[in-house]
Amino acid sequence: MAKEMSPEQARAGVSSGEAAIAETAGFVWKRSLWVMLLRTAVVVGFLLLWEIASGRWIEPFLISSPSRILSSMITSFQSGDLLQHTWVTFQEIGIGFPVGALSGIALGYWFGRSQLLAEIFEPIIMALNGIPRTALAPLFIVWLGIGIWSKVGVVFLLTFFLNFFNTYAGMRQMDEEYIDLARLMGANRWKLTFRVILPAISPYVFTGIRTSIPFSVIGAIVGEFIAATEGVGFFIRLSAGIFKTADVFVGIIVLMLMVIAMDKVAEMIEKRVLQWQVRTDHVTIQG
Amino acid sequence: MRDEFMEQSHQAAAQEISSREALEKAHGAGDLVIQVENVTKAFQTPDRGTMVALDNISLNISYGEFVTIVGPSGCGKSTLLKLIAGLTPISGGRIFYQGSEVQGLNTKVGYVPQESKLFPWLTLEDNVAFGLDSKHYSRQKREQQLRYFINLAGLTGFEKYYPAQLSGGMGKRASIIRALAYEPPVILMDEPFGPLDAQTRMILQDELLKIWEQKRQTIVFVTHDLVEAVALADRVVVMTHRPARIKDVIQVPMNRPRNIFEIHRQEGFDEAYGRLWNIFRHELNIGGVRNNSDG
Repeated sequence: MAKEMSPEQARAGVSSGEAAIAETAGFVWKRSLWVMLLRTAVVVGFLLLWEIASGRWIEPFLISSPSRILSSMITSFQSGDLLQHTWVTFQEIGIGFPVGALSGIALGYWFGRSQLLAEIFEPIIMALNGIPRTALAPLFIVWLGIGIWSKVGVVFLLTFFLNFFNTYAGMRQMDEEYIDLARLMGANRWKLTFRVILPAISPYVFTGIRTSIPFSVIGAIVGEFIAATEGVGFFIRLSAGIFKTADVFVGIIVLMLMVIAMDKVAEMIEKRVLQWQVRTDHVTIQG
Repeated sequence: MRDEFMEQSHQAAAQEISSREALEKAHGAGDLVIQVENVTKAFQTPDRGTMVALDNISLNISYGEFVTIVGPSGCGKSTLLKLIAGLTPISGGRIFYQGSEVQGLNTKVGYVPQESKLFPWLTLEDNVAFGLDSKHYSRQKREQQLRYFINLAGLTGFEKYYPAQLSGGMGKRASIIRALAYEPPVILMDEPFGPLDAQTRMILQDELLKIWEQKRQTIVFVTHDLVEAVALADRVVVMTHRPARIKDVIQVPMNRPRNIFEIHRQEGFDEAYGRLWNIFRHELNIGGVRNNSDG
C-alpha cells in the first residue's frame, strides 16, 4: 500500500518521481484548504447579509434574522417545548422509517426472486406509484387519528416505495451467474440470500435507504401540518400562524439537523457494509 | 507442512480409488464419471423459432481425465458444460454423473466461468472458502484446506484482499481454486483463460497443470484455442458449427508432466496439433490457398 509521504521525505528526494508525487499531494491538500475557506466565507457572508438586511431593508417578521433565530432556539429548548416536539417527530420517523425501509427491501427482494409475483403485481405497484403520496396524508388522519400513528403511516408510505423500487431495480440487474455458482457450490437458501443476493444488491439497497431519509422527514411534517397537537411540523405551523418567524426557522433547522444526523448514520453503515466497493479506489495490485 | 499435504492427497486418492471401485460395482459403469448420451439442446429464439444448439452429442469421460472441447465460437461448447452442471434443462437425451442421471442442479461439480466471477463482496479467502461450508469440516481442517489451495495458487498474503483489488491473473487463479477447494470430482472450465494476455495465459496454464498433477480431478475444459486444447489435454473433443455435433475426438499422446512454455518442442505435440488443425480447418471453411499462405 502506498503511504503518503511527509515533506521531509520528499525533500530528501529519493527519486524525482516520488518527489513529484509528494508535490502533487501537497497541491491537492492546499487546494482543499482553499475550498474550505471559500465555503466558510460564503456561509458567513450570507448570514451577515441576512442579519444586516433584516430590519433595515426587509421587515423582520418576514425573514427574521440569524441572531433572533439563535435566541429563539435557546429559549424554546430551555422551556422544554421544542424538545417535546422534536421527540414526537423523532418517534414518528423512528417507527415509520425502519418499518417502511425493511418492508420495502423485503418486498423488492421477493419480487426479484419470484417471476410470477412480479408479473402480477408490477403494473399495480407502478400505478400506485403514480399517486402523489403526500396527497394520501389526510386519509391517514381519518384512518388513524391525529396522534402519532397517522404520521407513522405517512412516513411508512413514503419510505416504503423508495426502498421497494431501489431494491427491485437491484434484483433485476443482478448477475444470475453469481446465483448459479453459489448454488453449484452447495449454498442453501439462507446462504444464497444473505451471502450472495443481498450483498450483490446492497449498493442499490443503500441508495434506497439514503434517498428515503429526507422523504421520511417530509412525511412526518406533512402529517403534522394537516392535523396534530405535537411535533416539529405542528410547532412550525403554529409559529407561522402567529408570525413568530424566528420559531419557524428554528423548526426548520431542527428538521435539517435530523436529516443530516440520519444520513450520517446511514453513511457510516454503508461505508462498513460496502467496504469491498469503497476500498476498490485505493489499491490495485499487479501480478 | 508440505509432506502433510502430500500425505493427505495420497489418502484422498486412495479413498477416491476405493469409492470408484464401489461405484463400478454399483453401476457397472466402468470408470466413467460423465456419460453424455444422445444429448440435444434447443433454445427458443426471440422470433418464436427454435435453434438447435447441440445435436445428438454422446461423450464419455473417465475419472482423472483432462478433456478439452474445442469448436468454433458460439457453437454450444459452453452449453454442454451448463448441461453437465445442470444449470439449464436438457431438451433430449440423458447425462449421467457418477452413474446417476443429472436432474436439476449438479452440486458435485466445480464450475469455473469465463470471467472470474469471484463474489466481489467477499475477500479472496472467503471466496475460496465458499464451497467448503457444505463440507462441514472441522475448523482446523477447513483452515488447512484454505491455506493449501491459496498457497497452491501463489496467493498467500492476499487472503484479505477483495477481488477488485486483484489483477486479472490473480482473480483467475482465485476463481480456479474456489472450484478446486471443496474437491468436487469434476471441474468444468468454460474458457477460463480467454480474456487474458498471452504471457499470463501461459503461466496460468502451467499452474493449472501443476495443480492437476497433484490432485488429478477430472477436468472438462472448453476453449477455442487449439494450442491450449492440445497442450493441456489427454483427449481433445472437436465440435462442429451449429447445430453442434462431435466431429472427432483426438488422443494426445504427449507425456506428463508437460512443459507448457516449450510445448512445441515436446514429442507428440506437432502430430496431435496437425491432426486437430486438419479437422478444424474444414470447420472454419478456409480453402487450401488461404491455409497455405498462412503457413
